[in-house]
Amino acid sequence: MSATDFLPHWPPAANGFLVFGLLLLAGLLGGRLAATTRVLPAITGYIATGFLLGPGGLGWLDAGVLAQSRVIAEFSLGLIVFDLGRRLDLKWASHDRWLLPMGIAESLLSFVELFALLHVVGGIDTLEAAVAATIGIATAPAVVLLVTNELKADGPVTRRMLWHVALNNVVATLGITVLLPFIEARATGASWNPVARSLWIIAGSFLLGYAAFRVFTLFARLIGKSPAPQFILTVGMIIVTVGVAEVSRLSVLLALLVLGACARNLDHEHRLVDVDFGRAAQLFFVVLFVLTGATLHPHQFGPIAWVGLAFVVARGLGKALALFAFAWPAHISARQAATLGLALTPMTGLAIGIAQPIYDIAPEFGARLSAIVVSGIAILYLLGPIATRFALIRAGEGEPAARD
Amino acid sequence: MPALDFTSSDALTFGVELELQLVNTRDFNLAPDADDLLRRATRDAPQGELKPEITQSMVEINTSVHRHYAELLAELRATRNVLAAHARKMNVAIAGGGTHPFQKWSERKIYPTERFLSVSEKYGFLAKQFTVFGQHVHIGCPNADDAIYLNLALIRYVPHFIALAASSPFYQGVDTAFDSSRLSVVNAFPLSGTMPFVRNWAEFNRYYDRMFDLGIVASMKDFYWDIRPKPEYGTVEIRVCDTPLTVDRAAQIAGFAQALASWLWEVRPEISPDIYLVHSYNRFHACRHGFAGTLVDPVTGGSRPLADDLRETLDRIAPHAAALGSQDALSALHTTLSQGNDAAWLRTQFASTGTLTDVVRKQAALWAG
Repeated sequence: MSATDFLPHWPPAANGFLVFGLLLLAGLLGGRLAATTRVLPAITGYIATGFLLGPGGLGWLDAGVLAQSRVIAEFSLGLIVFDLGRRLDLKWASHDRWLLPMGIAESLLSFVELFALLHVVGGIDTLEAAVAATIGIATAPAVVLLVTNELKADGPVTRRMLWHVALNNVVATLGITVLLPFIEARATGASWNPVARSLWIIAGSFLLGYAAFRVFTLFARLIGKSPAPQFILTVGMIIVTVGVAEVSRLSVLLALLVLGACARNLDHEHRLVDVDFGRAAQLFFVVLFVLTGATLHPHQFGPIAWVGLAFVVARGLGKALALFAFAWPAHISARQAATLGLALTPMTGLAIGIAQPIYDIAPEFGARLSAIVVSGIAILYLLGPIATRFALIRAGEGEPAARD
Repeated sequence: MPALDFTSSDALTFGVELELQLVNTRDFNLAPDADDLLRRATRDAPQGELKPEITQSMVEINTSVHRHYAELLAELRATRNVLAAHARKMNVAIAGGGTHPFQKWSERKIYPTERFLSVSEKYGFLAKQFTVFGQHVHIGCPNADDAIYLNLALIRYVPHFIALAASSPFYQGVDTAFDSSRLSVVNAFPLSGTMPFVRNWAEFNRYYDRMFDLGIVASMKDFYWDIRPKPEYGTVEIRVCDTPLTVDRAAQIAGFAQALASWLWEVRPEISPDIYLVHSYNRFHACRHGFAGTLVDPVTGGSRPLADDLRETLDRIAPHAAALGSQDALSALHTTLSQGNDAAWLRTQFASTGTLTDVVRKQAALWAG
């Protein structure tokens, strides 16, 4: 034992606190910088910060740090996905009979356009094209919710946008789960019936979401309707659901969407309070997007970007076609359909969420998938938040001056 | 500046303007969906007119002109059903009530018409604070002098209307202890209050010309009085009522106004300028305490519970209501007087549910019928 043992080691090792704190502060700076442009949403600043600090930039955020921070990203996403599930109002769908067909058409047409582009035009393998096209169905929930919050947007376009995002995430998650057995069969040549896995994931995730909802209401009955305890209860239920889903190898996304949707549709006694996650959650969202930015790499914007651009255009066209086709019967104006289509632009990443089971089961397949969609995702990380922001402002539902 | 022309209309015809709240069905805060709702519902509205109001979470129903309470009630119910059906398709709800219990006025968006933008420019933050919801009752007047008489004669009954319609106990998230907090918002406008004591239309025109020449008003719309003549419609407009929680109550109050006007024109009680001595006090008491307020009579010098005076008034005008076919309206108001107004109902809901979100949810369900 030396006389200087009480001194810290040099160089000091980064711990979780340091990583979280530094990501937060760096993201904050990036967000404020974006805000000063009056055109870019703060999210773009967070993503740009992550890109600058990540392996594609200065390299300060290496794979180890990213892995260490994954729990933060998953928690943030959990809050967002639960919130999104609360937008899946089935009573609305029963009153507006065009709502569900329009949402499904929007999902299916973006799949068809993407599949045609990748498989028919691009000659990509059927299964790979189908998986990539399914991922393309989903709009990034985190991006749209954060831009909505940032602009304090509310109104018919915002409400429909959140409904579509919730629905297209459900469709994409179910789609990927259905495709999983085929991916697994190809990757491992599994001899057991791989359909069981899909059934387990889908049925299990629905059951978990519903069971969590029952526990949720039971607790709510005990604690009453004060906002502060209800806030803690909600966050606690989300974390527990994420934990159980991971342990049980279920879909975190699906379980939380089901939990949120149950909270919205089955709380007949109105025990649950629609808590606003507010500024506390904002901390985690900043880190989520800095980490997201760190997954980007300059080569994704190189020559391969043309593939990504085609991907983006095909996806956008599919969504827009469906929205315009249903606009008249659904009593939506052309302007609302256009802004809605634009607002649905952001696309979700691969590292967490919908595509995660693929990486768990078949990492090589996941790598090939990345090669197909990564430049599209990269482009949409840049354009998506800007498009949603622009659309909500054009729809007259978001106030550019509302940032805080 | 030409003199104001008063358009003659049939005596005791009547109509209603109702300002309504648009709320989302998630947390029941106000929803800025007026534009979309009006675009969808206007072509289906049975009669009358649907209009925007100062901020985007408000819509206004203007009924057509009626002679009978039953017709007015039928039209209001039909319009309500059309609006409610369209609102459901948009996933919003409509609620009555003079204020939204917990909305934050600073979050409101001005409805972008030339008039509302100019009001916003002129009055600053008051424009957004004006996201309160009232019922206006128009009574048809055969000539301008009768309109002036009715306008002055009704001033004594302003507390009665306030207490009957009071439905704004909660404002900005708190119980204000008022039955009608809405009128405190209206009071902030410089041209609110009461029409000056004038004897006839010629005298009123001289007052109006003076105000116009001084550059204080540009039209009658600039007066935010409790009761004002509406020369282009040929009516007197009673503006002190909160929007009730149901269209039925709105029609009953209109029926009360019609019968009261009938009695006033027939009996022609003398109007003393002394009513101005007590008006603000009586008005405050009705806002603050509702039926439990005190009414001071400047002629007798005494004071009495407002509820007693209202009960007597309802009995006194009953023959006129019978002649006009609105006895059902008056008997419903008698029940209200004994069982409590909408403010009391709202407080009961809050006591049983514990959250203002639940109160608005119940408010919206009640309005939808």
